[in-house]
Amino acid sequence: MEAVKPEENWLCGKCNVTLETKKTVFSYLGRSFTHDVDVCPKCGAVLIPRELAEGRMAEVEEQLEDK
Amino acid sequence: MERLNLSRLQADEISAHAAACVSGAPPPCARECPFGLDVRSFISKAEKGRWQAAYKTYRDAVVFPEIVSRLCPAPCSGACARTDAGGAIDLGGLERAVVSLTRDKRRDGYAIPQKSGTAAVVGAGPSGLSAALSLALKRYDVTVFERESSWGGSLRSHAEFGAFDAEFSQSFASLGAEFQFGREISSLAELSGFGAIYLATGSGGEAFGLLAGLDLESLATSDPRVFLGGGLTGAELMDAIAHGRAAARSLESFFQIGKAPPAARAPVCSWTPDTSEIEAAPRVAPADPSGAFTDIEARAEAARCLKCDCDVCLQGCEMLRRFHKLPMKIASEVFTDIHANPPYSSHTLTREAYSCSDCGHCKRRCPESIDVGELLRLSRRARVESGAAPPALHDYWLREMRFSSDGAAFYSACNEKGSCEYVFFPGCQLGAYDPRHVSLSLAALRKNYDAGVFLGCCGAPAYWAGDDAALEENSALIRRAWSELGEPVFVLACMTCEKLFSDLFPEIECVSLYEMLAAMDCEQAACNLNCAPTARPTADLPRNGNLECDTRLHNALPEADPAVREAYMESTRASPVRAPGRSLYFQSAAIFDPCSAAEDERVRESVRALASRSGVALSELSESGKCCGYGGNIRLANPSLYEEIGSNRAAASELPYIVYCANCRAVFAARDKQCAHILDIAFGLAPAEIPDIDTRRRNSLEVKRLISQEFSSGSAVFPKAEPWEDISLIIAPDVAERVDRKLISLSDIREALYLARESGAYFEASDGTRQCSMARPALVYWVRYRLSPGGTYEVLDAYYHRMKFEGA
Repeated sequence: MEAVKPEENWLCGKCNVTLETKKTVFSYLGRSFTHDVDVCPKCGAVLIPRELAEGRMAEVEEQLEDK
Repeated sequence: MERLNLSRLQADEISAHAAACVSGAPPPCARECPFGLDVRSFISKAEKGRWQAAYKTYRDAVVFPEIVSRLCPAPCSGACARTDAGGAIDLGGLERAVVSLTRDKRRDGYAIPQKSGTAAVVGAGPSGLSAALSLALKRYDVTVFERESSWGGSLRSHAEFGAFDAEFSQSFASLGAEFQFGREISSLAELSGFGAIYLATGSGGEAFGLLAGLDLESLATSDPRVFLGGGLTGAELMDAIAHGRAAARSLESFFQIGKAPPAARAPVCSWTPDTSEIEAAPRVAPADPSGAFTDIEARAEAARCLKCDCDVCLQGCEMLRRFHKLPMKIASEVFTDIHANPPYSSHTLTREAYSCSDCGHCKRRCPESIDVGELLRLSRRARVESGAAPPALHDYWLREMRFSSDGAAFYSACNEKGSCEYVFFPGCQLGAYDPRHVSLSLAALRKNYDAGVFLGCCGAPAYWAGDDAALEENSALIRRAWSELGEPVFVLACMTCEKLFSDLFPEIECVSLYEMLAAMDCEQAACNLNCAPTARPTADLPRNGNLECDTRLHNALPEADPAVREAYMESTRASPVRAPGRSLYFQSAAIFDPCSAAEDERVRESVRALASRSGVALSELSESGKCCGYGGNIRLANPSLYEEIGSNRAAASELPYIVYCANCRAVFAARDKQCAHILDIAFGLAPAEIPDIDTRRRNSLEVKRLISQEFSSGSAVFPKAEPWEDISLIIAPDVAERVDRKLISLSDIREALYLARESGAYFEASDGTRQCSMARPALVYWVRYRLSPGGTYEVLDAYYHRMKFEGA
């Protein structure tokens, strides 16, 4: 999956620190893979923008469901 | 419902669902052909001008193309589906054209090793030569004994024998068959040195006493090594040649396994294509006085062929057309899918299995009643059982089912004694889309019958998801209620409920609400509510004549609660009750029958009777019984197919629709198709707006509240208030619509916002926009929002994904 660059400068509400792009592990239907997304460097909370959720993620979800 | 150990289902158990499929079976013409010529293949090649390829197909079937093309009486013509649409295909003419237009008739020179069997053929007529040639081509050692001095048998006296003689010579050239002319066999003992014998001594010829025990299919006789056929059995010329080829197969089988081959398992197929809408195309008349086709004429005549093959299931279903698979292919994939063993093998059928509306249209069209939906539901069930089902595809509807069977569920006999003769079961959607439909129907029933009520769900979401455990849990609730209420007749308002009840609860007697309402015969639908039929309307619905009745609609309203009554009066004042005998909305309309009513003629008639009373001029759709798209809950599994089906159904007529399924109405309303529920028509109501998800839930609870207040003194249990229900939202109409289309409820959004507020887990952009998430078993929800003054949340967006993230 291609990384989607954040349009805004997001802060983690809990830790009050700016998010950083990091490789994150995703899993679906028993398969795992990594992708660069914005993550809070302190608590590890992950932000998924709509473009990613309904774009590439949805494509991969569909591909995995079809396997 | 039948219990299956799905993971142990074997291939033949699954393929049995589709075994009767006639797709690919011989078309009517080929069934008449003595040689069983593959007419579709032959004619497709001829149509393209591939003469040599067509010739090979033809020769492989008929053995002697020159003879057969000139002398076959073409029984195929009598069975041709083109007969009434321009005249039967001139297959005989095409066969002659193929023979004459093929320049190179040499056989391909395959290096086949010599076989060990030795065959004696007695008689060098057409049948004997056909057997000898077929065996020689397979490299068996063949000797032909003929008492005359040359070959040809009955053909020798034919005017065109010269051409036939040439074909024999060319056919046997370079093959090792030995001919002993002038040699009459008087005893089979003379042939004791041969492994097997074919007797083809012609009409009236010597059969050595073996005719009595002849098996006409394998041509085997009582002597295991002797086979017999041709004119000797009374066969005409074409059958005699076909016998020769069949005998060669039997001899080969005898050489290999010591007996004739087992009977062919050719499907017994009586299917004929529907040619009622075939455009006529006149037969091509050859310009040549001899009647022979030219190259161009032959191709044009071949192009007229319909190449009859059954694919009616495919033609009638958007889903099957999209995946372009016939039942046997699907059965085979259902099997491989059930036995998939990741990562070594994988599921290949997921999208298709979850794209089927299970509407039964394929079964109704299929000449063999094959139900592809049943096959694919088997696949869904097996996936749930093995844990391979993508949970997100049916999660929404399963949650809705739990809500309907739990929080919104309620049943009461509506009387002191606690049991009732009838119980009205509106289904989970009727009241959700319009509470008036439930209240007014119940009131109408109670005016005339000892009727209770049961608010709940039939289990369709679990049935469609393939979730047998959830279905059984729901079914147990229904059985318990039925028992507690004194085993009443269920009055069903939803045809999907009817379908499931007949499948799941054969012990429960059911009747359609629409039959009950139609039986309350009166000039005004509203007056139905006071008209009392004289008998129990289950087996034979009685009509109670032309009752004079001027009862007003409000007489049907619940009488116990003035507030409720006033609320309904208010709603009906807002949309005036139609004048007697006139439709308020439509001058003319088409009835859109839900797919689940396709096999229930009585319901269809009842709905038409109810609609006709309103004065609407009714039209029939050219094809009914197809799903609106809602069935099977395919919406999330295949959104584009869901849209395609809904649009196609909406476009099936320019007239407004009258429906009797709440889901059909929602599907059409979403496409701006003018549409009313039959209960709107029957009760003279203005169709309500299609409510969003949250309103539907509220409506369900409201129906429960109103009915339970009236009949159980408010003792019904309601879901406890959730802490997020007080969260105040602002949401723009376009955002609300988009979110609702994605089946995200405002309740889901409130819950996510509540969790973010309580935990502080959210993200914030420099402009104050916030974003939070909520992970649920099947989905991860995201909400993008802004905090407004006063603690109100302005929802900017909501979406979800199915993947889970497991940390950086």
